[in-house]
Amino acid sequence: MSGPRLWNLIAELTYRCPLRCPYCSNPRQWASIRDGLDADTWSRVFHEAAALGAVHVGLTGGEPSARRDLDAIVRSAAQAGLYPHLVTAGVPLTPAALGDLARDGLRSVQLSIQDATAEASDRIAGTPSFERKLAIARCTREQGLALTLNVVLHRENLAHVRDVIALARSLDADRLELANAQYDGWALVNRDALLPSREQLEAASRVVAEERTKASRPELVWVLPDYFSGRPKPCMGGWGQRLVVVAPDGLVLPCHAARELPGLAFWNVRERSLAECWRDAPGMNAFRGEAWMREPCRSCEKRTQDFGGCRCQAFRLTGDAANTDPACALAPRRDAVLTAREHASAAAWIHRGA
Amino acid sequence: MFAGVAESTGAWSPAEFEARLRRVGTERYHDKHPFNLRMHEGALSRAEIQSWVRNRYYYQTRIPVKDSAILTKSGDPSFRREWVQRLHDHDGRAPGEGGLELWLRLAETVGLDREDVASLAGVLPGVRRACDAYVELVEGADLLVAVASSLTELFAGDIMKTRIAAFETHYPWVDPDGLAYFRSRTTQAPRDARFGLAFVVEHATTRADQERCVAAVERKCEILWSLLDAVEAAHRRPKLSPHAVLRDDQERPGGAIAVLPERGVRINDAGREILALCDGARTADEIARELGARHADEPHVAEDVHEFLDQMDRLGVIVR
Repeated sequence: MSGPRLWNLIAELTYRCPLRCPYCSNPRQWASIRDGLDADTWSRVFHEAAALGAVHVGLTGGEPSARRDLDAIVRSAAQAGLYPHLVTAGVPLTPAALGDLARDGLRSVQLSIQDATAEASDRIAGTPSFERKLAIARCTREQGLALTLNVVLHRENLAHVRDVIALARSLDADRLELANAQYDGWALVNRDALLPSREQLEAASRVVAEERTKASRPELVWVLPDYFSGRPKPCMGGWGQRLVVVAPDGLVLPCHAARELPGLAFWNVRERSLAECWRDAPGMNAFRGEAWMREPCRSCEKRTQDFGGCRCQAFRLTGDAANTDPACALAPRRDAVLTAREHASAAAWIHRGA
Repeated sequence: MFAGVAESTGAWSPAEFEARLRRVGTERYHDKHPFNLRMHEGALSRAEIQSWVRNRYYYQTRIPVKDSAILTKSGDPSFRREWVQRLHDHDGRAPGEGGLELWLRLAETVGLDREDVASLAGVLPGVRRACDAYVELVEGADLLVAVASSLTELFAGDIMKTRIAAFETHYPWVDPDGLAYFRSRTTQAPRDARFGLAFVVEHATTRADQERCVAAVERKCEILWSLLDAVEAAHRRPKLSPHAVLRDDQERPGGAIAVLPERGVRINDAGREILALCDGARTADEIARELGARHADEPHVAEDVHEFLDQMDRLGVIVR
C-alpha cells in the first residue's frame, strides 16, 4: 500500500512549556514523555517527510523554543525544502533568537496570546508572559515573517473578542485565529468552566462579522465550535490523509491526541522510517478511508467532508473511537454533548500540571 | 394574529423609509469607490479610462435585459407603460439611437474600436460576475425588490454631473461629444428614480418588505462596487506574496505548489507561466495581453489570466 500523499508535518519538538494554560491540548501525562529525538533525527524526519510530498512543517510542542537546538532544527527543515512555521507561546523565545531563526530559514510564526490584556492573558497562561509575547509579535513583523496570532476562546474571554481583534490590528498580524477551545487534554478536565453559552458565541460571532467589514487585515478565522454547530469538525482533513504528527518521543500519530486511544499500535521514527510509520502502522490505518464507519456515518452524504468528525472526541465522550462524533447532530450519542452544555458554569478551572 | 404582532414591530413612515434608502447611497454608493475618486480627480491613465469604458459597457448591456425581466413581473399596464420607457432609453427606437449607442460613441472617443467593445471581448471575469449577479438578483426577485434594486438611480444624477465636469477638466483628450451618454442620464436617472421610489414607498407597507427593499439597494451597491474592484485590480501590478514559496510539484510535471504560512496551493503549468510574469512591474492587464499574444491560437486566454490572478489574490499567493 502506498498511502496518501503527505502535505503537512506537525513536529512536536517537546511537551515542555513555561505556560500552564487550562486548555492545553498536550497529553495529560506530558511530563512522562521525554524529548526523544535529537536535531539529527529531526533532520532525517524532515527529509523523509519531504520525500513523501510534505511542503510544510509546523514546529510546535509544548513550547518549541524550550529546545536549545531549535536553530539547528529550523535550518534542517529549510534544507529539506519544507516551509518552516513556528508555533510558539513567545517564551522563552527572545527577539534576538527569533532574528537568528529568520536567518536560519524560518518563514512564519504563529504566536499564542491568551487574552487582550496583560492581566487577563497572564492569569490564563499562569505566568507573566504577555509583554514578551508582544515583543515577539513586533519582531516577527520587523523580520518580514508572516504573523498569525492564535487566541483560544472560552467562557472567560469570549466577551473580549473585539479587543483581541484591535490588538491583532495594532500588531499588524496577517491572520488572527479566534480558536474556540477544543475539549481534549486539559480542556476536557476544565470543560465545565471553559465551555461558553450559546449567547456568548452568538455575540462574538456578530462582533467578528462587523469587524470583517471594517478592514481586510488581519484575516479573521472564526468557526462556530463543534459542540454548538451540530456539525462535527473535519478533523485533520481525515485520519492519516494529509497531516502527520511526530510526537516528542518519536511516535508517529494521525493527530496530537491519538496516543490515548486504546488498542491502536503506532510506530516510532526511532525504530522505523517515517514512510513506514505513515503508511503501514496499524493505528495509522485503523480509521483511514471509510471502511471503519458505522451508521449514520456510513451512508451519510457528508462523510467525505467531515469524515464522521473526531475519533478522539468520539472515544472520550462515548468510550468507542469508531462511533459517530457526538458533536454531530445525527450522532446516536449526541446526549454526551448536550449534557456537557448543560453543565457549563462559571466554575473554577485548574492550570495544566496543577 | 401573528401578522398583527409582526406589524406591531413597526413599519417605517414613508419619510423614514426613504431616508433609510437614501442613507444606503450616502454610505455605500460607488461614487466613494477609490477608482471613481481617482477618475474624478483626473488621476486615471488612458489605459484605465479605456478599460473602464470597455468593461462598463457590459453593465450597460445588462440594463435593458434586467428591465425586460421587470416588465414581465407586472400585471399593471400603467406600470409597464412607464417602465418600458427605460428600454427605449437604452435601446433607442431605431438603430443608431439610445444609451447603448451613446456608450459605443464614448468608446470610440476614448480610442477604442467600437466593434471590439460591442463584441464584449475582453470583459473582465470579475465585471461579468458582478453584472450577471445583478440580472440574477432581479430575475429571482419579486416586483417590489426588483424595482428597489434600481434605486441606485437616486444617486446617479449627481455622479453623472461630477463625471462630466471631471472629463472636461482632466481628460481633455476625450472629445466632449463623447460625453452625451452622461448628459442624457442627468435627466433620465432622476426621472426614473422618482417613479421607482414612489412605487417602492407605496408598495412596501410592512417593515419586512421595507427591509427587503433596503437590502436590495445595499446589494446593488455591492455589485457596482465589485465591478470597479475588478477594473481597478486589472491595473494593479501583482507580485508573489513575500510569504509565498514556489516548489516543484513532484506529482505533476511542470506544476508547482505555492506554499504559504497556512496552506499550500497547487498550480498547473499554465498558472506557473502567469506567476512568472507577476514581477510587480507589469499590470494584470499587461500580463493578460502578453499571454494572450503568446497563445493567440487559444480562446479566452486574457480572461483566464484575470480569473487566475483573482483566485491567487484571494488565496494570498500574490499581492497587488
